[in-house]
Amino acid sequence: MLNYIWAGLIVTSFLFALGYDARDIAGDRYRNGRPLPVALAFTETYDSATRRVPVEIRIDPRQFATFYGTEEKPAASYPGYLLQTREGTQLRFEAGAKLPEPLATIAKVSSSRDQELQGRLEGFSPLAAAQARDTMFPVAAGVVFEPVRFVKLNAIAAAALDFAKTAAGIALGLVGVLALFLGLLKIAEDAGIVHALVKLVRPVLRPLFPEIPPDHPALGLIALNLAANFFGLGNAATPFGIKAMEELQTLNQSKDTATNSMVMLLAMNTAAVQIVPPVLLLALLGLQINRLIFPIIGSTVLSLIVAITAARLFGRLRVFRDSDPNRNPPAPAAAPEA
Amino acid sequence: MDTVRNAINLVSYFIIPLMLVGFPLYGLYKRVPVYESFVVGAKEGFQVAVRIIPYLVAILFAVAMFRASGAMDALARLLGPILRPIGFPAEVLPMAIIRPLTGSGSAALVVDMINRYGEDSIYVKMASVMFGSTETTFYVIAVYFGAINVRKTRHAVPVGLTADISAMLFAVWSVRLLFG
Repeated sequence: MLNYIWAGLIVTSFLFALGYDARDIAGDRYRNGRPLPVALAFTETYDSATRRVPVEIRIDPRQFATFYGTEEKPAASYPGYLLQTREGTQLRFEAGAKLPEPLATIAKVSSSRDQELQGRLEGFSPLAAAQARDTMFPVAAGVVFEPVRFVKLNAIAAAALDFAKTAAGIALGLVGVLALFLGLLKIAEDAGIVHALVKLVRPVLRPLFPEIPPDHPALGLIALNLAANFFGLGNAATPFGIKAMEELQTLNQSKDTATNSMVMLLAMNTAAVQIVPPVLLLALLGLQINRLIFPIIGSTVLSLIVAITAARLFGRLRVFRDSDPNRNPPAPAAAPEA
Repeated sequence: MDTVRNAINLVSYFIIPLMLVGFPLYGLYKRVPVYESFVVGAKEGFQVAVRIIPYLVAILFAVAMFRASGAMDALARLLGPILRPIGFPAEVLPMAIIRPLTGSGSAALVVDMINRYGEDSIYVKMASVMFGSTETTFYVIAVYFGAINVRKTRHAVPVGLTADISAMLFAVWSVRLLFG
């Protein structure tokens, strides 16, 4: 199942990216190679010998709308500067300007080292500029940006690379908290706390996890995991859950396949029964959250019931029953040939 | 009801400090070499984290690609008309789709929806209830099964998604009932 969902996510994102990019190319969304009409107002006297001249860039909203065929509105003016380069005069928009689409997308693709939107100036007359002494009389010109193609395709590749890094960061970020709680749990095990807990929760949890022997520490760890979830202690819930999974793994005959108990524990965790509001919602909605806490608890309890039922029912389906490590244990590894 | 909730809130403040102090203290009483036990247990933290990496990378990069491609919007547009008859507004559909896939993405979506519809809108309420009542199913699967190197997840995904769908539906209906 996960194989298909995973492959499906990747393949659909590729197809959709390709589709969006094809549409952009067909509609020439970025007007590649054509000059966008702008008006340049000089705050200082223009001198073609100066490498860098500050300028105020004005884009007429009507011209902008017809040029790109969009309803987005540019700001009244953008600060920028002219740069004399070997290839001609370049126009750069100061970084951080609030650009309308599609300029914002173009800026992402063809920006300078300092994240400024840049383009080649066309139809610009240095003579007229040198005479324009006042910002009242801007000089007309056209600016051609770097051609923009395959934006989405680039975006999905960038997202994949970016999140691969994020994933490793998240996992390594867990090291400290995991170590802390796994250490505490070891003390709890050695002191007999987990064992005492097993006796306490056995009547409730045993029916849900019939595969676990009655005195097994897994039951106690599952109880700790569920309790931590219940009180919204995500930091503690994950290490407890992982430890519980490790205990369940010791009962597992085939180590790469999930047992029914593992799926049940996972189901109870994804349903996330939590009685205190999530920190993030509290931060975003403030006191309003108090009015939402009852629907939240209601949905979460209901989804827990559904999760438990589904874990039980789906486990009985033929496909999943056949792959049950407890029902069909893997054949013992063949003895090495003599 | 409020006193019960206050009590629960109070307990949730105390639980972690109590564990941090209580476990070692009880261990001492039971003559456990607490420091040594702690270090032995904690040693595993690094290995577990490293074991999770491949699973987390697999899930997160695929989900990130899916989000960046714009496929989600298309999916929302496609499912919108199908779900409207059962009272599921198209405005909260993106939340229902994104919630099991990414935690940070769905948090950003809540912020987005508050800006677009306003804090008091029924859509924000529905999305918040969805956010609060379910977990990031694929992340949980990656972390919990990754930690023990289980690759064949059997019915874990269908069960998790069934629970998510039921929570989404209940979120919509309960908010409509209370605030609609």
